[in-house]
Amino acid sequence: MKAKYINPFLAASMNLFKEHLGVDVRSLNPFVRKDPTVLEEVSGIIGLAGETTGAVVLSFSRVTAMNIVSVFAGKTYTALTNEVLDGVGELVNIIAGNAKKDLLDFRISISLPGVIVGSATKIHWPEGVPVITIPFDSNLGSLSVNVSLKEAE
Amino acid sequence: MKVLVIDDSAVMRRIHRNTLTEHGIPASDIFDASDGEAALKIATEGHIGLFLVDWNMPKLDGFQLVKALRATPHYASTPIIMITSEAAKYNVMEAINAGVTNCVVKPTKGDVLWQKLAKYVDPKTGGGA
Repeated sequence: MKAKYINPFLAASMNLFKEHLGVDVRSLNPFVRKDPTVLEEVSGIIGLAGETTGAVVLSFSRVTAMNIVSVFAGKTYTALTNEVLDGVGELVNIIAGNAKKDLLDFRISISLPGVIVGSATKIHWPEGVPVITIPFDSNLGSLSVNVSLKEAE
Repeated sequence: MKVLVIDDSAVMRRIHRNTLTEHGIPASDIFDASDGEAALKIATEGHIGLFLVDWNMPKLDGFQLVKALRATPHYASTPIIMITSEAAKYNVMEAINAGVTNCVVKPTKGDVLWQKLAKYVDPKTGGGA
Protein backbone atom coordinates (compact mmCIF):
# COMPACT_ATOMS: atom_id res chain seq x y z
CA MET A 1 0.00 0.00 0.00
CA LYS A 2 1.57 3.25 -1.17
CA ALA A 3 1.93 6.41 0.92
CA LYS A 4 -0.10 8.36 -1.63
CA TYR A 5 -3.17 6.44 -0.50
CA ILE A 6 -2.53 7.19 3.17
CA ASN A 7 -1.36 10.81 3.07
CA PRO A 8 -4.77 12.26 2.14
CA PHE A 9 -6.30 10.71 5.28
CA LEU A 10 -3.43 11.95 7.38
CA ALA A 11 -3.76 15.50 6.02
CA ALA A 12 -7.54 15.50 6.43
CA SER A 13 -7.24 14.24 10.02
CA MET A 14 -4.68 16.87 10.94
CA ASN A 15 -6.78 19.62 9.34
CA LEU A 16 -9.89 18.54 11.22
CA PHE A 17 -8.32 18.11 14.64
CA LYS A 18 -5.69 20.82 14.59
CA GLU A 19 -7.06 23.59 12.38
CA HIS A 20 -10.79 23.18 12.85
CA LEU A 21 -11.14 21.85 16.39
CA GLY A 22 -8.01 23.50 17.78
CA VAL A 23 -6.83 20.27 19.37
CA ASP A 24 -3.13 20.13 20.20
CA VAL A 25 -2.47 17.00 18.17
CA ARG A 26 0.64 15.50 16.64
CA SER A 27 1.08 12.43 14.53
CA LEU A 28 3.46 9.71 15.62
CA ASN A 29 5.26 7.17 13.46
CA PRO A 30 2.92 5.02 11.36
CA PHE A 31 3.19 1.26 11.76
CA VAL A 32 1.71 -1.91 10.36
CA ARG A 33 -0.88 -3.23 12.79
CA LYS A 34 -0.19 -6.86 13.59
CA ASP A 35 -3.69 -7.65 14.79
CA PRO A 36 -6.25 -5.39 13.07
CA THR A 37 -9.05 -6.77 15.25
CA VAL A 38 -7.55 -5.06 18.30
CA LEU A 39 -8.33 -1.35 18.19
CA GLU A 40 -9.37 1.13 20.85
CA GLU A 41 -12.86 1.12 22.32
CA VAL A 42 -14.69 3.36 19.86
CA SER A 43 -14.12 3.05 16.13
CA GLY A 44 -15.66 5.01 13.30
CA ILE A 45 -15.55 3.09 10.04
CA ILE A 46 -15.90 4.23 6.48
CA GLY A 47 -15.72 1.91 3.53
CA LEU A 48 -14.30 2.87 0.18
CA ALA A 49 -15.21 1.14 -3.06
CA GLY A 50 -14.29 1.56 -6.69
CA GLU A 51 -10.85 1.53 -8.18
CA THR A 52 -9.48 1.40 -4.67
CA THR A 53 -11.32 -0.60 -2.05
CA GLY A 54 -10.84 -0.86 1.67
CA ALA A 55 -11.58 0.89 4.92
CA VAL A 56 -10.56 3.87 6.99
CA VAL A 57 -11.11 3.44 10.71
CA LEU A 58 -10.73 6.22 13.26
CA SER A 59 -10.20 4.65 16.66
CA PHE A 60 -10.50 6.37 20.05
CA SER A 61 -10.42 5.44 23.69
CA ARG A 62 -13.77 6.05 25.41
CA VAL A 63 -12.47 9.23 27.09
CA THR A 64 -10.87 10.58 23.94
CA ALA A 65 -14.10 10.04 22.00
CA MET A 66 -16.10 11.96 24.59
CA ASN A 67 -13.51 14.76 24.77
CA ILE A 68 -13.19 15.28 21.03
CA VAL A 69 -16.92 15.10 20.30
CA SER A 70 -17.47 17.58 23.15
CA VAL A 71 -15.18 20.06 21.39
CA PHE A 72 -16.76 19.29 18.02
CA ALA A 73 -20.35 19.71 19.19
CA GLY A 74 -19.79 22.52 21.68
CA LYS A 75 -21.39 20.48 24.43
CA THR A 76 -19.78 18.54 27.26
CA TYR A 77 -20.42 14.80 27.17
CA THR A 78 -19.63 12.76 30.28
CA ALA A 79 -20.87 9.41 29.02
CA LEU A 80 -20.55 7.44 25.83
CA THR A 81 -24.00 8.37 24.52
CA ASN A 82 -25.49 7.70 21.09
CA GLU A 83 -24.79 11.32 20.25
CA VAL A 84 -21.07 10.83 20.99
CA LEU A 85 -21.04 7.80 18.70
CA ASP A 86 -22.89 9.82 16.07
CA GLY A 87 -20.22 12.52 16.41
CA VAL A 88 -17.44 9.98 15.90
CA GLY A 89 -19.18 8.82 12.73
CA GLU A 90 -19.42 12.39 11.49
CA LEU A 91 -15.72 13.04 12.18
CA VAL A 92 -14.83 9.98 10.12
CA ASN A 93 -17.18 11.11 7.37
CA ILE A 94 -15.48 14.51 7.20
CA ILE A 95 -12.01 12.99 7.08
CA ALA A 96 -12.94 10.54 4.33
CA GLY A 97 -14.83 13.15 2.31
CA ASN A 98 -11.96 15.63 2.54
CA ALA A 99 -9.39 12.96 1.68
CA LYS A 100 -11.36 11.87 -1.35
CA LYS A 101 -10.48 15.00 -3.29
CA ASP A 102 -6.84 13.93 -3.16
CA LEU A 103 -7.71 10.46 -4.39
CA LEU A 104 -9.41 11.59 -7.58
CA ASP A 105 -7.09 9.53 -9.75
CA PHE A 106 -8.86 6.56 -8.21
CA ARG A 107 -12.57 7.13 -8.73
CA ILE A 108 -13.99 5.83 -5.49
CA SER A 109 -17.25 6.03 -3.62
CA ILE A 110 -17.50 6.26 0.15
CA SER A 111 -20.05 4.56 2.34
CA LEU A 112 -22.04 6.22 5.09
CA PRO A 113 -19.97 5.96 8.28
CA GLY A 114 -20.56 3.23 10.80
CA VAL A 115 -19.46 3.22 14.43
CA ILE A 116 -18.66 0.23 16.59
CA VAL A 117 -17.96 0.02 20.30
CA GLY A 118 -15.74 -2.72 21.68
CA SER A 119 -14.25 -5.50 19.60
CA ALA A 120 -13.12 -4.57 16.11
CA THR A 121 -13.61 -8.06 14.71
CA LYS A 122 -16.55 -6.91 12.59
CA ILE A 123 -14.40 -4.65 10.44
CA HIS A 124 -14.05 -6.07 6.94
CA TRP A 125 -10.49 -5.22 6.06
CA PRO A 126 -9.48 -6.09 2.50
CA GLU A 127 -7.59 -9.35 2.22
CA GLY A 128 -3.92 -9.47 1.39
CA VAL A 129 -3.01 -5.90 2.29
CA PRO A 130 -1.73 -4.59 5.61
CA VAL A 131 -3.57 -2.26 7.97
CA ILE A 132 -1.48 0.89 8.40
CA THR A 133 -2.00 2.67 11.72
CA ILE A 134 -1.24 6.37 12.08
CA PRO A 135 -1.25 7.10 15.81
CA PHE A 136 -1.94 10.56 17.18
CA ASP A 137 -1.19 12.03 20.56
CA SER A 138 -3.27 14.98 21.75
CA ASN A 139 -4.27 17.03 24.77
CA LEU A 140 -7.64 15.24 24.64
CA GLY A 141 -6.20 11.74 24.59
CA SER A 142 -4.80 9.30 22.08
CA LEU A 143 -6.39 8.15 18.86
CA SER A 144 -5.40 6.47 15.65
CA VAL A 145 -6.32 6.48 12.00
CA ASN A 146 -6.17 2.99 10.54
CA VAL A 147 -6.15 2.54 6.78
CA SER A 148 -6.17 -0.48 4.53
CA LEU A 149 -6.74 0.03 0.82
CA LYS A 150 -6.41 -2.37 -2.06
CA GLU A 151 -6.09 -1.39 -5.69
CA ALA A 152 -8.50 -3.15 -8.01
CA GLU A 153 -6.80 -5.59 -10.34
CA MET B 1 -38.55 32.65 7.90
CA LYS B 2 -38.39 29.00 8.74
CA VAL B 3 -35.09 27.18 8.35
CA LEU B 4 -34.93 23.45 7.75
CA VAL B 5 -31.72 21.66 8.74
CA ILE B 6 -31.37 18.22 7.14
CA ASP B 7 -28.54 15.97 8.32
CA ASP B 8 -28.44 12.34 9.40
CA SER B 9 -26.01 13.30 12.16
CA ALA B 10 -27.64 14.52 15.37
CA VAL B 11 -24.39 16.26 16.31
CA MET B 12 -24.31 18.19 13.03
CA ARG B 13 -27.95 19.19 13.47
CA ARG B 14 -27.05 20.47 16.94
CA ILE B 15 -24.03 22.41 15.59
CA HIS B 16 -26.07 24.04 12.80
CA ARG B 17 -28.93 24.84 15.15
CA ASN B 18 -26.47 26.53 17.54
CA THR B 19 -24.97 28.57 14.71
CA LEU B 20 -28.41 29.77 13.63
CA THR B 21 -29.62 30.70 17.11
CA GLU B 22 -26.32 32.44 17.92
CA HIS B 23 -26.96 34.69 14.93
CA GLY B 24 -30.50 35.61 15.86
CA ILE B 25 -32.68 32.97 14.25
CA PRO B 26 -35.37 32.06 16.82
CA ALA B 27 -35.18 28.42 17.89
CA SER B 28 -38.89 28.09 17.13
CA ASP B 29 -38.17 28.87 13.45
CA ILE B 30 -35.62 26.09 13.11
CA PHE B 31 -36.81 22.65 12.05
CA ASP B 32 -34.74 19.59 11.42
CA ALA B 33 -34.88 16.24 9.68
CA SER B 34 -32.54 13.27 9.63
CA ASP B 35 -33.11 12.29 6.01
CA GLY B 36 -34.43 13.62 2.75
CA GLU B 37 -37.80 11.89 2.96
CA ALA B 38 -38.59 13.47 6.32
CA ALA B 39 -37.39 16.82 4.99
CA LEU B 40 -39.74 16.66 2.01
CA LYS B 41 -42.64 15.97 4.34
CA ILE B 42 -41.84 19.00 6.48
CA ALA B 43 -41.30 21.15 3.39
CA THR B 44 -44.74 20.28 2.02
CA GLU B 45 -46.40 21.11 5.35
CA GLY B 46 -45.05 24.62 5.76
CA HIS B 47 -43.17 27.32 3.95
CA ILE B 48 -39.43 26.93 4.41
CA GLY B 49 -37.32 29.97 3.58
CA LEU B 50 -33.88 28.39 3.80
CA PHE B 51 -32.60 24.83 3.61
CA LEU B 52 -29.31 23.53 5.03
CA VAL B 53 -28.77 20.14 3.43
CA ASP B 54 -26.22 17.41 4.03
CA TRP B 55 -25.16 15.35 1.01
CA ASN B 56 -24.75 11.81 2.32
CA MET B 57 -27.95 10.64 4.00
CA PRO B 58 -30.02 7.45 4.08
CA LYS B 59 -33.33 7.02 2.21
CA LEU B 60 -33.28 10.18 0.10
CA ASP B 61 -29.82 11.79 -0.07
CA GLY B 62 -29.12 15.50 -0.36
CA PHE B 63 -28.66 15.38 -4.11
CA GLN B 64 -32.04 13.68 -4.62
CA LEU B 65 -33.69 15.99 -2.11
CA VAL B 66 -32.50 19.12 -3.91
CA LYS B 67 -33.79 17.83 -7.23
CA ALA B 68 -37.15 17.00 -5.63
CA LEU B 69 -37.41 20.45 -4.05
CA ARG B 70 -36.47 22.22 -7.28
CA ALA B 71 -39.15 20.25 -9.11
CA THR B 72 -41.70 21.86 -6.79
CA PRO B 73 -42.70 25.34 -8.02
CA HIS B 74 -42.97 26.54 -4.43
CA TYR B 75 -39.26 25.86 -3.84
CA ALA B 76 -37.93 26.63 -7.30
CA SER B 77 -35.84 29.55 -6.06
CA THR B 78 -35.64 29.05 -2.28
CA PRO B 79 -32.03 29.21 -1.03
CA ILE B 80 -30.58 25.74 -0.50
CA ILE B 81 -27.14 25.50 1.10
CA MET B 82 -25.39 22.16 0.72
CA ILE B 83 -23.08 21.35 3.62
CA THR B 84 -20.89 18.43 2.71
CA SER B 85 -17.58 16.78 3.45
CA GLU B 86 -17.26 16.02 -0.27
CA ALA B 87 -14.50 18.51 -0.95
CA ALA B 88 -13.73 17.70 -4.59
CA LYS B 89 -14.56 20.36 -7.18
CA TYR B 90 -16.62 17.99 -9.26
CA ASN B 91 -18.82 17.29 -6.23
CA VAL B 92 -19.43 21.01 -5.77
CA MET B 93 -20.25 21.43 -9.47
CA GLU B 94 -22.60 18.46 -9.30
CA ALA B 95 -24.42 20.07 -6.37
CA ILE B 96 -24.68 23.44 -8.09
CA ASN B 97 -25.98 21.78 -11.26
CA ALA B 98 -28.61 19.97 -9.19
CA GLY B 99 -29.93 23.32 -8.01
CA VAL B 100 -27.98 24.05 -4.86
CA THR B 101 -27.64 27.79 -4.22
CA ASN B 102 -24.32 27.58 -2.42
CA CYS B 103 -22.00 24.89 -1.17
CA VAL B 104 -20.05 24.73 2.10
CA VAL B 105 -17.38 22.11 2.67
CA LYS B 106 -17.09 20.58 6.15
CA PRO B 107 -15.42 21.11 8.49
CA THR B 108 -16.52 24.71 8.71
CA LYS B 109 -16.61 27.15 11.59
CA GLY B 110 -20.00 28.50 12.58
CA ASP B 111 -18.99 32.05 11.64
CA VAL B 112 -17.82 30.94 8.20
CA LEU B 113 -21.08 29.09 7.64
CA TRP B 114 -23.03 32.14 8.74
CA GLN B 115 -21.18 34.33 6.21
CA LYS B 116 -22.61 32.08 3.51
CA LEU B 117 -26.12 32.20 5.02
CA ALA B 118 -26.41 35.82 6.08
CA LYS B 119 -27.32 37.20 2.67
CA TYR B 120 -30.36 34.92 2.53
CA VAL B 121 -31.66 36.10 5.88
CA ASP B 122 -33.81 39.17 6.43
CA PRO B 123 -32.66 41.00 9.60
CA LYS B 124 -35.99 42.88 9.80
CA THR B 125 -37.76 39.71 10.81
CA GLY B 126 -35.22 38.55 13.36
CA GLY B 127 -33.51 36.23 10.97
CA GLY B 128 -36.42 35.55 8.68
CA ALA B 129 -36.58 36.47 5.01
